[in-house]
Amino acid sequence: MGPQEEFQAEGVVATRLDDVWVTLVWNDPVNLMSYVTHVFQDYFGLARHEAEARMREVHERGKSVLSSGGREKMEVDVQAMHSYGLWATMQRSGE
Amino acid sequence: MRGFEAVDGDAVAGLDDEERMVLARIVADVGLLLGGENFGFEPHSHPEPGDALDDPFLHLRGLEESIREPEDPAILRLLPNAAPTDREVADEFRRLTEGDIRDLKVRRLRRMWEQLSEDGDTWVVPGPEAMPTAGALTDVRLVLASRLGLRTDDDAERLHAEIDLASHALEADDEEVLPVDPERVWLGMLYQALTWLQESLVQYVMTASEEQDV
Repeated sequence: MGPQEEFQAEGVVATRLDDVWVTLVWNDPVNLMSYVTHVFQDYFGLARHEAEARMREVHERGKSVLSSGGREKMEVDVQAMHSYGLWATMQRSGE
Repeated sequence: MRGFEAVDGDAVAGLDDEERMVLARIVADVGLLLGGENFGFEPHSHPEPGDALDDPFLHLRGLEESIREPEDPAILRLLPNAAPTDREVADEFRRLTEGDIRDLKVRRLRRMWEQLSEDGDTWVVPGPEAMPTAGALTDVRLVLASRLGLRTDDDAERLHAEIDLASHALEADDEEVLPVDPERVWLGMLYQALTWLQESLVQYVMTASEEQDV
């Protein structure tokens, strides 16, 4: 089965999963809930209620995935989060 | 101390001279910690042998150093490890971004320091600078939190309880039996004041952006 057929068989989900990275934001005792919400709105362009839901996930479950994509894009997102003072990391999706 | 309120598009807080001086000082301390200078003090004058200003390798040396993870836990919190399970990714991230993040943080702190160093009983933050100022306040609070050993939400709760106890002891004029280290109480109260100021600034930002959306 050639690459093209494989692609059709597995669908878009199976495209080189190891190339997909995620940006995680972690809970910390310093950052204010309002500030984190506004950063998520400001930087990721989330609606207020969506940004609040992500903030709660960070606060209550310890972390949340805020974005996914290529490694370079995740480096940009993590750098932005560190500039805001949020604790963010990146890793391959599924790790 | 009065929290931030919207006045003609600016965010304006009220601070007396002493509060202003204390805040300016801690802001300068954090700026210096990140390697910034020009915070109204003389640049560091601890020349090491061969560490002349015209040393052509001065900047190169900084480049080499920036690849390594900071040893001070407070600086590490401002410039954290971006990939704790992957050394190669973490090192590459640090090499590519640490200089820019440091510069941005120092620039924001210096701006805040300049505002706090102006005369008067208000602290005026122009609207567009409100989020960068909130970011700089986060950095100062992160450093204080690291010095206070706040690693979890429980640690933060405990600190608030300790300060409450100490305030009651002070009110009762019972300083001799103060249950907590006075320096810790002082730092903790400064941390709480900055938290309160930042909260009011973020409320200003959120209100302003909602009005813009309407």
